[in-house]
Amino acid sequence: MVTLYKSLQGKPIRVLERIADSLNQLNEKVDVLIELQKHSRGGIAGESLTDVLDVMTLLSLPDHLRKTAITLCNLGQATAEEIAEQTTRARAVESGYLNQLVLMGYLKKERRGRKAYFYVEKEDTGEK
Amino acid sequence: MMGKIIAFHSYKGGTGKTLLSINLAATYARKGKNVCLLDLDFRAPSLQARFKAEGSGYWLNDYLNGVCEIKKVLIDLSHLFSGNGNGKFLVGLANPSTEAIREMTAKDRKWEMRALGRLLSLRNSLLNDMHLDYLIFDTSPGLQYSSINAIVAADVALVVTSLDTSDIKGTQRMTSELYDLFEKKTGIVVNKVLADILSSTAGKENFSEHFHNTHNLPVLDTIPCFCDVLRAGGTCIFAEEKPEHAFAKTVERIAQKIEKL
Ligand SMILES: Nc1ncnc2c1ncn2[C@@H]1O[C@H](COP(=O)(O)OP(=O)(O)OP(=O)(O)O)[C@@H](O)[C@H]1O
Ligand SMILES: [Mg+2]
Repeated sequence: MVTLYKSLQGKPIRVLERIADSLNQLNEKVDVLIELQKHSRGGIAGESLTDVLDVMTLLSLPDHLRKTAITLCNLGQATAEEIAEQTTRARAVESGYLNQLVLMGYLKKERRGRKAYFYVEKEDTGEK
Repeated sequence: MMGKIIAFHSYKGGTGKTLLSINLAATYARKGKNVCLLDLDFRAPSLQARFKAEGSGYWLNDYLNGVCEIKKVLIDLSHLFSGNGNGKFLVGLANPSTEAIREMTAKDRKWEMRALGRLLSLRNSLLNDMHLDYLIFDTSPGLQYSSINAIVAADVALVVTSLDTSDIKGTQRMTSELYDLFEKKTGIVVNKVLADILSSTAGKENFSEHFHNTHNLPVLDTIPCFCDVLRAGGTCIFAEEKPEHAFAKTVERIAQKIEKL
């Protein structure tokens, strides 16, 4: 008990952070699986279909996804947390929607360190 | 205070979008606000002819194509305003050449998607970085890509309609099936109303109430058809040259109501 305590001494917060991170990542993976099942698209990972997120597409999306998509268009790129700040919906909810939009081929997702960033297109946004 | 983006749009053509966008921009500039007016009507560019302006060498077409930054496109027409304490008056022109118009109508969805991104980033480059107070979009009538892009990028959409039945019906459909989905602050401006209809206040109220009750959209103003305005053929900026004219006063009222939307 004492040794365990000693080994953790000074870094309990870090350990908790790591656990939280792992849980978050798991959460996202579960979201993806759920969405995949909902759409029974079949093709898991790797098979990246892409579609164009133009205004006509935005119009055709269900309301809840449109809100997420427009917010991302405005921000250029963002994490689920940043989107959630704008839409005032829960981070986990936005994470689910964002992953769904990725699966639909409208968004791309990239991991940088602990965070997952979503974006429409990598290249510039006109700010040359 | 954060700047505001206002888009003028309509269902049918010729309702007065360009006239109103120029005069609204002029009204703001005269109040000391810094404004930028952009011609996003790539199918029938108008602002170059209205201002008889030399191009800057770059068009808004170039900006949307990713060829240049927005600053290269803008021309400074602040000198058109004679008063003291006027704000900056910047204009971005669409390329009026037939070749450019043809090219813009042939753009694909991917291009339109990028164009939306570039319009959205104007909030940063013009309102935040250049500290402009108002950015005004003049658009093509109807459900054009470029117009819908402009509406998505705007804070406020002003729909200009005549009292023509097909225009009113189309405007209603457009606002409920398009604007509502994008959750835009929207105001209706009824323009070119015949004097005898306006003089019966009952008729006017009736119409405003109809729009307000069935669509929950405010009618910012009902503007009569002015012979002076028609005669000027778009070359006179009433807000600057004839600020006492009833048309200029109407635009001033609209400017105030926009703040309350
Ligand atoms: N209230 C008014 N009284 C008289 N003439 C008007 C009025 N409003 C607009 N006009 C005239 O109607 C014509 C069309 O106006 P304008 O070009 O502003 O319309 P628009 O909506 O921009 O047209 P388009 O859809 O082709 O771009 C112009 O000649 C303009 O001066
Ligand atoms: Mg016009």
